[in-house]
Amino acid sequence: MLLIAATDGGPSTLNRTGGAVGLGSLAMTGDAADGGPAVMPEDSTTDAAPEESTEARVARFERDAMQYLDQLYGAAMRMTRNPADAEDLVQETYLKAFAAFTSFTDGTNLKAWLFRILTNTYINIYRKKQRQPYQTGTDDLSDWQIAEAESHTSRGLRSAEAEALDRLADTDVVEALAAVPEDFRMAVYLADVEGFSYKEIAEIMDTPVGTVMSRLHRGRKLLRELLEDYAVERGLIPAAVGTEGGDGQ
Amino acid sequence: MSCGNPHETDCREVLALVYDFLDGEADDADRARIAQHLDECGPCLRQFGLEQAVKSLVHRSCQCEQAPERLRVQIVARIRQVSITYRSSGSSD
Repeated sequence: MLLIAATDGGPSTLNRTGGAVGLGSLAMTGDAADGGPAVMPEDSTTDAAPEESTEARVARFERDAMQYLDQLYGAAMRMTRNPADAEDLVQETYLKAFAAFTSFTDGTNLKAWLFRILTNTYINIYRKKQRQPYQTGTDDLSDWQIAEAESHTSRGLRSAEAEALDRLADTDVVEALAAVPEDFRMAVYLADVEGFSYKEIAEIMDTPVGTVMSRLHRGRKLLRELLEDYAVERGLIPAAVGTEGGDGQ
Repeated sequence: MSCGNPHETDCREVLALVYDFLDGEADDADRARIAQHLDECGPCLRQFGLEQAVKSLVHRSCQCEQAPERLRVQIVARIRQVSITYRSSGSSD
């Protein structure tokens, strides 16, 4: 009854990068290709893995990393909240990832690694630019405090309400999510959309697992309240139910 | 808050673990305790159902995001270009 479909949602675009031959010829005909064939031992001084040619690395990157494009773009959209910035952010992320790809060892979690670069890039470029007031003051609510707060509202919750929320349009949900403070929003996104574990989210957001958990608590609580407001606005649940929890209007 | 019935595991303790449970982070012992509690306690079950609904809703609503094909082409082109620069800069610096 309480099962969640653990859909990964990974797009199957692996075959897109089958053009290793074309890739090689492209690399060879470039203006700057005066360094001769890629497979030169000297190349190792440019930080390429000794046993891997540049072409092979490009092909490996396209095969392994590009499959996460839609997912990174989706996360970037939730971060920047507009398509133009999201595109720039994703492109910058991939360029950084490629530059660091020689140091990436097979067997490491590539998806989490890419999301971490995305997050870092976002923090370094966009968050500084935005200079938004940054809400972290509530990070330290303990679990029991939150459980306590929730227990007070649970009397107003009905399974009909869960069904009503389920009838909300995707655009409403996306809009509600956008209104949740950034760190909370991204914790929720990484957990619920990408299915990352707490430990992975901690690595991606460079924060302790405990902080991830409190961000999830806070983010979900805020989101749920916003969604309830939307559901009331849309007439999916009567206003009385939405206000019964004590946050009356 | 409680349904008024005594439980082996207190409602508050169960509610504190709602996300651990739904996120698949609870260990087997906790999962068993929670599952048993939810079998007995309507209010907690509703709470869990609502939290699960929100989680599923976020998952569903954010699934359809697709990067423009133009972006993919652009990124691949940039990477190939950069890889050329890497190679050539190896001899110049």
